[in-house]
Formats: sequence, C-alpha cells, structure tokens
Amino acid sequence: MQNQSNAPVIEVKNVKKQFGDYFANNDISLQVESGTIFGLLGPNGAGKTTLIRMINNIYMPDAGTITIFGQPVSDDTQNQVAYLPEERGLYKKQKVIDQLIYFAQLKGVEKAVAKKRAEMWLIRFDAASWANKKIQDLSKGMAQKVQFISTLLHDPKLLILDEPFSGFDPINAELLKEVILELKAQGKTIILSTHVMEQVEQMCNDICLINKGKVILQGNVRDIKKSFGRDTILLEFEGDAGFITENPMLKVVNKTTQRLELKIVDSTFDSKAFLNELNQKLEVYKYELVEPSFHEIFIQSVKGNEVEIG
Amino acid sequence: MGKYSKIKTIIAHEYISKVKTKGFLIGTILGPLGIVALLGIIVYISMSFGDTSKKLAIVDNEGSIYTELVKKDSALYYKSSKGVDALKKELQDENIDGYVIIPEDILEKGKVSVYTGGGGGLGLISSLEDNLTSIVRVKRLERLGTDASVIDLIRQEVTVETNKITETGEIEEDDTKAMAYVGYGLGFAMYFLVFIYGSFVSRGVIEEKSNRIIEVLASSARPFEIMMGKVIGIGLVGLTQIIFWLLLGFGLLTILGPLIFGDPESLKTMTDMAEAQGGGMASQTQGMSIPGVDFTLILGFLFYFILGYFTYATFFAGVGAAVDNEQDAAQLQLPITLPIILAIMITPQIMNNPDSTLAVVLSIVPLTSPLIMIVRIAATNVPIIEIAASIAALIGFFFFAVWVSAKIYRIGILMTGKKPKFSDLIKWIRTA
Repeated sequence: MQNQSNAPVIEVKNVKKQFGDYFANNDISLQVESGTIFGLLGPNGAGKTTLIRMINNIYMPDAGTITIFGQPVSDDTQNQVAYLPEERGLYKKQKVIDQLIYFAQLKGVEKAVAKKRAEMWLIRFDAASWANKKIQDLSKGMAQKVQFISTLLHDPKLLILDEPFSGFDPINAELLKEVILELKAQGKTIILSTHVMEQVEQMCNDICLINKGKVILQGNVRDIKKSFGRDTILLEFEGDAGFITENPMLKVVNKTTQRLELKIVDSTFDSKAFLNELNQKLEVYKYELVEPSFHEIFIQSVKGNEVEIG
Repeated sequence: MGKYSKIKTIIAHEYISKVKTKGFLIGTILGPLGIVALLGIIVYISMSFGDTSKKLAIVDNEGSIYTELVKKDSALYYKSSKGVDALKKELQDENIDGYVIIPEDILEKGKVSVYTGGGGGLGLISSLEDNLTSIVRVKRLERLGTDASVIDLIRQEVTVETNKITETGEIEEDDTKAMAYVGYGLGFAMYFLVFIYGSFVSRGVIEEKSNRIIEVLASSARPFEIMMGKVIGIGLVGLTQIIFWLLLGFGLLTILGPLIFGDPESLKTMTDMAEAQGGGMASQTQGMSIPGVDFTLILGFLFYFILGYFTYATFFAGVGAAVDNEQDAAQLQLPITLPIILAIMITPQIMNNPDSTLAVVLSIVPLTSPLIMIVRIAATNVPIIEIAASIAALIGFFFFAVWVSAKIYRIGILMTGKKPKFSDLIKWIRTA
C-alpha cells in the first residue's frame, strides 16, 4: 500500500470470460483510481455482474488479468473487498447480529471485533433495536440495510455496490448516500453499479459503460459530458409545443407536458432564432443550452453501439 | 487469514446455527422414540401376519378333525354346517375367505381341498398344511393304538439352543438371534440418519442458492470450503446427536437396567422361557438387552455413519447446488439414493443370512456398505479383511464424491433458471 495514491486500486487488462458460445466479457480493460467512486454502467446482460464476480474471485477470467492493489485477484484479495450483490441474500431464520458477525468472520474479522462494529453500524443506520430479530421478521428495506452493513464490517478498502439504493425509501436512500460519500472521504474506493443515471452524475468521478461484453465508453464524468458539447436544450414552457417536434434540426429526447429535452442534430441550427420563435408562440419559463444528461448519453451510446455492431 | 480459518468459520456457523434450533432439540428427544415406534410397528405387522383377519370355514366330513383344528387356531377356523353351494355363494359374496373340505378318508389318503377367492397368501396355506399334518399324524397313531406317552413324545418339538465358541475357546450362549435384530435396528437407524442429515445438507445448499446468500459467501470463501464446511458442520451435528443418544442409552441401561431385568440369572430364565414358547418376535426383541454393551458394534456404527454420511451428504451438496428446489433435487439424487433404499429393503434377508455372497458383496460395495455392513457386524463374525475392503472402498468412493460434487457445486451455485438435466451435470463434471 506504499504508493496508494498513484497506483490504481483495480486494474483490469484485456479480460475475457466466455460461457459456452457466449462472451460475457470480451476484452475488457479498465482502471479504478484510489479514493474515487467509479460507475460501472451498462444495460442488463451487458456483462457487469460477470466482471464484478471476477473482481471478487468468484469467477476466473479465461484470459487477461485483474489486479487489486497491485496483487492478482486471489483468496487473499477477497478480504479487502466488500461486495453488495444486486440480488440480496440473507439467512431468513437467523438473527441480524449473528448474521452480521458470520459474514464479517468470513472476511477474516475476529468475532468480538465484528460484534462491536456491527453494533456501531446498526446504531448509525438507526437499526439497533433489530439486532436480535430474525431476518424474516424484517421489512425489505430493513433487510437491505442489514445487507449493506454486512459489507462494511471488515473495514474494506474497496466496496463494490450493485444497485445499493434499490428498496430504500427517499429518506433512507439519502442516509445511504451520505454514508457512501463518507466512506469515499475516508479514502475508500467504491465501484457503483446502477441504472439510475442521476446517481452517476451526482456521485461518480469516473465511469465505464459496458455493452455486450465490451467497453463502449469510459472516462471522467465531467470530461465525457463536455465531450458531448452543449448540444441539448432544456425547455420549460406553457402552451402548445406541437410545432417543435416538426423541426428537423431537433430531436426530442425527453418529454413531459411542460418540459422538453431536445437534442440538436443539425450543426446549422440557430439557437437565437429558435428562442425568438418560442417566445412568440409559447410562454417560456426556462431555456437552457446544456450538455446532455447521463441518461441521454447512456441511451445514445448503447444504441449507437448496437447500430455499429449491426 | 488463511483458508483454514474460513472453513472453520463455516463449520462453526453450520454447527451452531443448527444445534441452536428447536428442531434439533425436538429431534434429539423424539428421534429415538420415533425409531422405537417404527420398529414396533414393523414387528407388530410381521407378527400379525400369522393370525390375520382371515376366516376359513371347515366342512368336516371325517368328524373329529375340526375340534383339533380349532384348538390350533380358533380365530382362523370355524365349523360350517352349510352345504358346498351355500359356502360357494358366501365366498363369492366375500363373507368368508375360503372353505376347506375334509374328506372322510383323510386319515387314509391325507388329501384335503381348500377353496378360496384366489390368493390368501402362502402363509395361510402353509399353516393349514402344518396344522392338518400334525393332527392327522396324531390321529393315525391313535388309530393304531399307539401309547399316549409315545404320542406325547412325537408331539414334542425340538428347541435348538445356539452356542458359540469364542476366540479363547470358551463356549458362550450365542445371541445370534437377538443380535440380528440389533443389526436390523442399527441398519434402520443408519438409513434414517444418513438420509436425514444428507437432506439437511442439500436443503441448506438450496437455501443458500435460492436466497442468493451464496453470492456473498462465494465472495468471501472458495466454493469447496463452503461446500465441505457445510457437510462437516452438519455431520458434527449428527454426531452430537448420536453421541447424546448413546450416553442417554448407557445411562438408562446402567440405572434402569437392573430395575427392569433384575439380576442376570432371572434375565436368562426369562429369555429361555420366551424361546421355549416358540418365540414370537416380541420375546426375541426383549433379548436385545442381553448382548449388553458391545463397543465394537458402537464404534462400527459411528465409523460407518461418518463414512456413509460424508459420502451421501457430499453428493447431496453437489446435487443441491445444481437445482433451485427440493423436488428437483430428489429427482437428480435418485441414482445415489436407490442403492441405500435397496439396502434397507433387503436387510431382513441379510439378517437371516449374513454370510451369503450377496451380503458380503453389498457390505463392500460403497453406498450400500454403511447399512449392510453394520447389520452384518451385529449378526455375524465379519472377517477383518471384508471390513478392511469395505472401508477402503467407501473412503475411495468418498473422495470420488468430493471430486464430482465440488465440480458440480462450483458451477451449479451461480447457475439459475432452467433445471439442469443429468447429462448437464456430467458435462459440468467434465468441463470444470
């Protein structure tokens, strides 16, 4: 851990993983920098889970290498990694505290230490009173909290969180976000796999977008957005906006009754003239020329990639 | 942290979480009662084969046979004064199970006809035959004017007293019969314990798979450790239970034994009496306590339980990993469960003939050996070479089970969706 600040936490090089005839990961390379939140994105079935499982030493790559803190993935690296799988799993008939201790012990933590940390985190998540309840007596959201806590007890340097917010109400989601950002502030590295693009924009430093087993987009979130340029118009208005959809230079990417997100598809588009037209025909509350949202970037990249593949 | 401590953690978790359940407590207390009750039912059923609820009408044209027949079995035989046609009708209406026509010249010709609605069983015919033979024999002698004391002598049956010569040359009363039943009981216990604990393993594996706990486990330990940790942990639960039962048994025997059976002498007379009475099963099972505490047998039982359990449980773990629910598991487990089911089915034959070739072979072949060998050890003197061969074969087979199951497990636990076929499992074993 000497030159922790410079060396990447995870280095995936030309990794391939095949199941039968199907390439779940086909030549994937990426780097995750220390102390950052890294978004691992992609549509369902893109190969994210396969990659995550290889980082966790559950699968072995068929080709390529994965290193964690400079070490090849092995039984030893497992203890430094925390994994919150998308499909949560706890022993239904066991008590919360027993289960937390067991999972921590499996990551090499002494029982007494595990117990202390479990109690501390249960308090933090406002869940101390459940310690002796069985999982089957908890609500889904409560169980989600327990599962999240279970990933923290071995004080991991790297956390892999797959859809960590699913099943949480807005208040608890906020609490979870707070904790994740706190962990980041403590210098921990977090891989966040999610389909909610707002979370990516709010939390991630870097992302990697995978489709059909290949990386189709990767880099710093700000840089990626910049590279797409201010090609999107955010419009809030009142009136009949039917005429806009007929404009061949614009493409509607998101539409609600009083709000439009438009992509400029023709470089000769004149923004000022368009705004004038709008002011004549509609009551305009907001007109903003922005970079595309990550939602749009995601869709555009994946669709573009599919077209390329044909 | 090395992997050694991880498998230890898994074993401890499996053990503690099982032992802490109410089910374990109830099973530990009710288990022996259940087995005793089950054996009781079996003994009861096999005893009641003799009397049955069958009724045979007797048409006695000779005149003196009927009285003697009723003396033999008053429940089975009754005298009918009806004509043959009426009896035929009653048989067709299923009011009676059959009727016997005893001809006038039975003492000369020794032939009797019985009419039934078909079936009735071999037991029925052979007891009729036995009864009539002895009656006719006595009648014939009486007709010849044979002295009553001679007839008494002929009536007397021979009782075989079994003795065995020990290795040191002493002659002991042989407890072959009692020990055969002990073997039967142990075989049954073996069957249930291996099955019950084996299915705990497959249920546990399926729970971890279907609840997706396995993903977390697999990110912390190797699949092999997770699988074997479970097998060992649950096996220790089983051993705990058996050892508890043994201690309980010793305790009860030491404290209550003398109270129930009194001193060894009176105990002996009691069994002798039972044997003299012709010995129904009940009197023989009573003799179970006579052999006393046989440590070789207990050690043998523990040893074969451990080997048998580990072999079966390991297979069950592999199969459990391949499926999503217990029904599918039962199907895929059939090839390995059939042998032990076969073994329990033929246990009575093994008891009767513990040194037959079939018995020897099945006590060496893995999968049947844990059950059959324990029956044989109880019922006969098994040559040490056969025990050695059986143990070697079983240990070898256990390693095979580990090898096969580890491969199926590794692939199976993260495989969801369609239920794998037997051929898929073979493919996994080959590719993994």
